[in-house]
Amino acid sequence: MRRSREKQRAGRKGRHEGRPNRQESAAKVSRATSESLSLQSPGPAVQSREVRKLLEGIGTPPTSLFKPDPFQLDALAALEFEDVLVTAPTGSGKTWIAREEIRRLLKSGRRAWYTTPLKALTNSKYQEFSDEFGKTEVGILTGDRKENSDAPLIVGTTEIYRNQLFDSLRGGNEVRADLVVLDEAHYLADEDRGHVWEEAIILTPLRIRLLLLSATIGNQDEFAAWIEKVRGVRCGVVSRPGARPVPLRAAFLLPDKRLMPLLDQAGKLHPEIARLSEQTAKTQSWPRRYW
Amino acid sequence: MPEMPPATLLTALNSYNLLPAIVFLPTRRRCDQAASEAAFTRRDQSAERCDVRRDFMHSFVEQHPEVRDHRHWETIIRGAVASHHAGHIPAWKLVIEKLMSAGLLDAIFATATVAAGVDFPARTVVLTGADARTGSGWRQLTASELQQMTGRAGRRGRDLVGFIVAAPGLHQDPQRIAELLRAQPDPLVSQFRATYSTLLNLLDAYGNFAHVREIAEKSFAHRDGARWISRLQQERADNEMRLKSKLEEANCALPISVALGLERLVSARTRLQEAKPQTRAEALLRWLEEVVQPGRIVGIGRSGRRLVMVTQRRGGNVAGIREDGRTVSFPLERIGRVYAPVYRIREGSIEEAFDEIRGKGKDLVVPEPRLRDVRAEELEALNLIDEIINSITPSHLGNEEKARCAEALWASIENAEAIERSTQRIETLRNQVWQPFEQRARVLASFGYLDFEAEKVTDRGRWLADLHIDRPLIVGEALEHGLFASVDATRMAAVMAALTADEDRDYGELELEDTLVTTLAQFEEIGFRIATEEWQYGVDPAPELNFSAAGTAARWASGAAWPLLVRDTRSEEGDLFRMLSRTGESLLQVAGLKRVHPEAARTAALAAETVLREPVR
Repeated sequence: MRRSREKQRAGRKGRHEGRPNRQESAAKVSRATSESLSLQSPGPAVQSREVRKLLEGIGTPPTSLFKPDPFQLDALAALEFEDVLVTAPTGSGKTWIAREEIRRLLKSGRRAWYTTPLKALTNSKYQEFSDEFGKTEVGILTGDRKENSDAPLIVGTTEIYRNQLFDSLRGGNEVRADLVVLDEAHYLADEDRGHVWEEAIILTPLRIRLLLLSATIGNQDEFAAWIEKVRGVRCGVVSRPGARPVPLRAAFLLPDKRLMPLLDQAGKLHPEIARLSEQTAKTQSWPRRYW
Repeated sequence: MPEMPPATLLTALNSYNLLPAIVFLPTRRRCDQAASEAAFTRRDQSAERCDVRRDFMHSFVEQHPEVRDHRHWETIIRGAVASHHAGHIPAWKLVIEKLMSAGLLDAIFATATVAAGVDFPARTVVLTGADARTGSGWRQLTASELQQMTGRAGRRGRDLVGFIVAAPGLHQDPQRIAELLRAQPDPLVSQFRATYSTLLNLLDAYGNFAHVREIAEKSFAHRDGARWISRLQQERADNEMRLKSKLEEANCALPISVALGLERLVSARTRLQEAKPQTRAEALLRWLEEVVQPGRIVGIGRSGRRLVMVTQRRGGNVAGIREDGRTVSFPLERIGRVYAPVYRIREGSIEEAFDEIRGKGKDLVVPEPRLRDVRAEELEALNLIDEIINSITPSHLGNEEKARCAEALWASIENAEAIERSTQRIETLRNQVWQPFEQRARVLASFGYLDFEAEKVTDRGRWLADLHIDRPLIVGEALEHGLFASVDATRMAAVMAALTADEDRDYGELELEDTLVTTLAQFEEIGFRIATEEWQYGVDPAPELNFSAAGTAARWASGAAWPLLVRDTRSEEGDLFRMLSRTGESLLQVAGLKRVHPEAARTAALAAETVLREPVR
């Protein structure tokens, strides 16, 4: 709809090429309408029942004491006896599991290795764990950073951990850990570096417990079965039922700034949106090409 | 649907109480533009919040001075929006993540790449399309990628509901987004592969290929293969049982191996029979298939006067180098003459090879077989096989027993065939995993890093195993040839940068000094020698050196100030940061070789120190 108006405007100015210069026109529209935005804002006043339902309950929950989710407790319980693969979406509290297990180990004088795929993540975990357990308890190992490397808890990149495994196999020092946490374990599917995760899993000695934290994946049972087979110890799977910690709703913002639900009650694309995108598909002449 | 101006988008979201939001845009540039445009138009009305942001950032600068003069500073303070993508240095990304978690920003404009691994949730995630940008074009988002993005919607403990909003975009596809939201997450797919480093380390650890192979066969990629193999092994065992009982029933006390031997003979006979060449051309082609191999010189055409050094054989096709150095490829049957010597394919020695053939070519020609000879040989072989088949039953048996035994053997030939098939399939499956390792082992062996026959890593290979970098072989060879002992720290940094940088990324067009050009040329020469060897053994050649990274790293290693480096290279800070940080890491690896290459290690340590200075840490 916005598009057709724009076309008219462009036409009046005598610009009627097939492809309007998007950025230019976008900037113009933005300047032209920004002041009047608050006046014609299609906000709460004009909401239909459908939109009210979409937006219902939006807001901040009352602060409550942290209470672990059952899946977090399940994972902790399982870790006492077996390797554990935890799959849950970001932000649902996978790290909490690792942190509590590490806390338990450190208390009883044991050691842990925490691997991440990225240096930035390693740095932030180092900070986080130092704050949590005290600076002397935590060391960091990345390609260019080595601090407190004798600490009972080591945070580092997966590559460095794998290299330590290589070294110990070649007669060097044993990897001193009772638990290894592989954070972002789905990096196993990374084209360039994924093989490092496989090597780490295959070569980790049996005496070390593995805790793998992964985003949700389609074949978690197959993955766990593989770990079980190559390591010869049981590997439990714990995933978060209901998947998301905060429910997700999908919306569509129309060019005239009206909001509407993206999906209908059956979970299919809302018929009105389907109609609209069909219309625009007809007027649009430059489909994106894929390689 | 044309995209909404960013400020309009945010106003609309705000009217529904949907901020803070993460707006995903396809390119870094678009993120930066959107952030500045939004900041320019909207302005945060609350002066108080502006002050909080300013204070927050000033205290952050005390720990991270490198962000002090960032060009997006005011965008954040006054507009309460920021862009976040791989073009920014980590410290800048960190301050944005912290501002977001502190609730001080209304929106972040981000590329899809940051959806992974970084922690900054918002109430709402906005998508203007269902595509992702790749190096060379566009592709559709995958279910997992969308899930990574929607994973940012809804802050635990701070939001009761999270939202994904599909906003207007030129290529917006609400249908596709609706489908992806419903889709199952993608399965984890193994990317297991052979690397020099893994091979050297494992071989040094275990001391034989069999053990290394065992590890490789454990890979997630091979799990299906492993399952197949155990199924085939089961099948083979079943057939062996059946075969055994058939022989026992016939009271024929022959081991299974005899039945298998018979099967092999019969199938060999069939193959011979079918494959007997009928014409001269066929006989010739088969002979060529056997004798034409890399390193041999062949004559093209019936006269055989044009000479080509064969470099590769792929089925019926041949690739080679002409006397003038041009590469050519042609079908096998165009070859008229083959010369006996097999030469090493390397620059310099190729010319000598051609000279030798030109000189005494006639004497070196491999004689072409005559059809009659070939057929005679095959007939003879057939007769021989028949004889063996007839004598396969033990001689001490009576005629009747012999006949019964032979009958049982022929009756069980299907089982024997099945056993043979299983064995071959098992072999093929196991080779699929092992072959890439074996190919690399042969390359390493040809440079002296391992002894292929003894299945041992050499002394040289042992320190190469310690070198944990992406391309150890080229660095190893450079060290072996003393190339690194003779350069200064700046040039060493430049060379390592050329090696570790992304192959096709542009890090600016700084001029290279002559000495650096010379060093890089020597380095390239080594790279070429390795690539030739890799090619011979079917290993994919490594990417080319990135000269623009070399120039940039040289400038940085010789002490340039960061803002000037960014300005002169016209590169994005994040790209420079990553390239230099990886260069520094590689240098540290070389610096670890104090015992075997003390001089190079010293220079590398120096170089690492200058490269890894603020803000590259």
